[in-house]
Amino acid sequence: MRENKILLFGFSRSAIEIGARLQAQGHAFICIDNDPTLLPKAKKLGFELLVADYSDDDTLLSLGIGEDVKFVFTLFEEDVQNVFLTLSIRSLDPKVEIIATTHTKDAIHKLEIAGASTILDPYQICGKRIYKLITQPEVMQVIDATIFGEEDINMEQITISAHSPLNGLMLQTCYPTQNYNMLLIGLHDKELKKEFIFSTEGHDHKLDAGDILVVVGKSAEIERFKMDFSL
Amino acid sequence: MGYITTLLVRFAYFLDASPKYHRSKEFCKALLEAQHSKLKFYFDIFMVLLVVFSVLFLLYEVKNPEGHAYLDMFVQFSLIVFVIEYLLRFWIYSDSHKIFLEHYEQATNNDLPFSLRRTLFAIVKKKLAYIFSPLAIIDLLAILPSYRPLRFLRIFLLFRIFKLFRYARSMKTFTEIITEKKFELFTLATFASFVIFTGSSAIYIFETHQNPKINTLFDAVYWAIVTMGTVGYGDIVPVTTEGMIVAMILIILGVAILAFLTSIIVSSFQSKLIELKESRIFADVEKLEDYIVICGYGRVGEVVAKMLHEDGYKLVIIDNDESKIKLAQQRGLIGIVADASKSRILGSLGVGKRAAQIICATNSDELNVFITLTARSLSKQIIIIARVIKNTHKKKYFLAGANYAFSADETIGVMGAQYIDQPISYAALDEMLTENTGVIFDIISIHEHSCFVNKPIGSLGLKEKRLLLFGVLRKEERTPFYFNPAANFELQSHDMLIIMGRKHHINVLRKLNDKRSIK
Repeated sequence: MRENKILLFGFSRSAIEIGARLQAQGHAFICIDNDPTLLPKAKKLGFELLVADYSDDDTLLSLGIGEDVKFVFTLFEEDVQNVFLTLSIRSLDPKVEIIATTHTKDAIHKLEIAGASTILDPYQICGKRIYKLITQPEVMQVIDATIFGEEDINMEQITISAHSPLNGLMLQTCYPTQNYNMLLIGLHDKELKKEFIFSTEGHDHKLDAGDILVVVGKSAEIERFKMDFSL
Repeated sequence: MGYITTLLVRFAYFLDASPKYHRSKEFCKALLEAQHSKLKFYFDIFMVLLVVFSVLFLLYEVKNPEGHAYLDMFVQFSLIVFVIEYLLRFWIYSDSHKIFLEHYEQATNNDLPFSLRRTLFAIVKKKLAYIFSPLAIIDLLAILPSYRPLRFLRIFLLFRIFKLFRYARSMKTFTEIITEKKFELFTLATFASFVIFTGSSAIYIFETHQNPKINTLFDAVYWAIVTMGTVGYGDIVPVTTEGMIVAMILIILGVAILAFLTSIIVSSFQSKLIELKESRIFADVEKLEDYIVICGYGRVGEVVAKMLHEDGYKLVIIDNDESKIKLAQQRGLIGIVADASKSRILGSLGVGKRAAQIICATNSDELNVFITLTARSLSKQIIIIARVIKNTHKKKYFLAGANYAFSADETIGVMGAQYIDQPISYAALDEMLTENTGVIFDIISIHEHSCFVNKPIGSLGLKEKRLLLFGVLRKEERTPFYFNPAANFELQSHDMLIIMGRKHHINVLRKLNDKRSIK
């Protein structure tokens, strides 16, 4: 995945969190901030921090925007910076994935207009988790322990390849996950182009190459599944 | 030390040690003064009724001086109640034996001579302070005229109406305002009396022989006050030019004084009203049971409060930002402007008693940890959910006693990293957490009489019901969570099924579960 260059703009706390996870997943990434005083901290954490002026388009181009950069995170503490950066990057490259964070409510809409692909709203996420903890503490504990947590139950997406035996089968007749200790949460049908379809909706889908299954299970089980269906 | 002194010291120590004495004094305090006591509430209602009826009787007596046997009895009864009330208030106003002992101990500890005279003087002074407090004077005036030789003071019986001040909290506020604004009101009164004095003397000098209506100084004062009050009945009208000029000046000054008076009272009322409202809110909170306290109405608090409110949970919000609380109140929530780090505030909000959960959602770790600690120190049972700002501080929250603590950054980290590798599963995760598409996670607890007990998972027909069983929680066992249990997994009572699906589909299963098994 070397060609998928990842840039993290803004060396904030969320940048450190994301960076740590990316490191764990084996991705290379570059952090960019215009504050040179953050350098020692980045060094201590083992992150590559580039001090550059993000508001300059030439700098952005020299970082590889429009060429090999696939993902950009805008993680500044100030919404003004995030919106401006999103807009500059989008103007340089219409295809790059921009994941933006926001701190105020009205910035969400502005980031949408500016062209962010996904907006992560930490407050919304935090608030909703608290809400779930109160209304459904057990559910949240399970989700926390499994998907977010230590227990070896992960969520993974599996793309159906052209040579897989699943290619061309109907979902309801083949029940692909039946003999594995894993759950099929849903899928993303390439042809329908819809966001995401939960498996509980009961629609019958024809599985084609390029369709993406989202499963939850132990990594070993998921690996076994992948092997068996040559995915 | 004289014989009397020794006796008094002994008596004071006896009182101090007597639990009976303390208990009865506490009871009287609860009855007459405690702000939130139920007892006082009923007592107040009783007294208000008593006052109103005794005044009504007074009015009845004007036309029927011979009276009525039952009514006379009622008057006697109310009088006795008033006298007892007065004496009790006199009694609980100060602890004389404490003052006595204080003086005595100070003297003996410092090897000073103990002066009985000075001590008694201090005690009497304190009691006199009560006797001359405005409300006590009113109380006394409400009683005194009933004493036969003082019948001529009957008009003072109307003072009983003023007694109502004691029993209604908002009326009390009014007296508080008056006493608080003593300085302003006094200054204004001085000025007003100066104007009245000058105005009435002027009109007296100018008009005494020209105007047949002004003969005495009293007429002049009457005219001046009527004019200054902008009432102007027109019964006394100045006839000389000088008199008219005096009238004009007096009218202008009168308007100015009235305007001042109004503004003083209105402005202090406004500030007081907020306080009054607040104490009302505290009283509202006292009626709640099993509610959730949210500290901090920032963005996180806002999101939580909105969703919980829509679900019908009872909430109490604290924030020290007035504008945020105003916003919360506009949305129909109970909001209090207060510093949540004060244990007194949390205590008076019932944290540790009636509150079930507390959410620390301020935007500072120090404050959140502090609230967590405070709440934990107040109650062992309360569930504390804290928002962590800096992920490195997370451990401290658990040390402080939080049940749950998590940071937005951490979640952002998980979701952000997930997005890079697996954007589709990210979308699934996001939707599961936000429930935007209507597919939700829910729990179904299997109760003892459910028809699901001892049945294998496979017999539930979850697939046909369009549900996905995520796992089963079984609390007592060593591995409490069974992920994706096999079809032959047998259910027991008290198992919790964690199910994913649409709400109405889940409800179908829930109804089945609620049905008692036929056997």
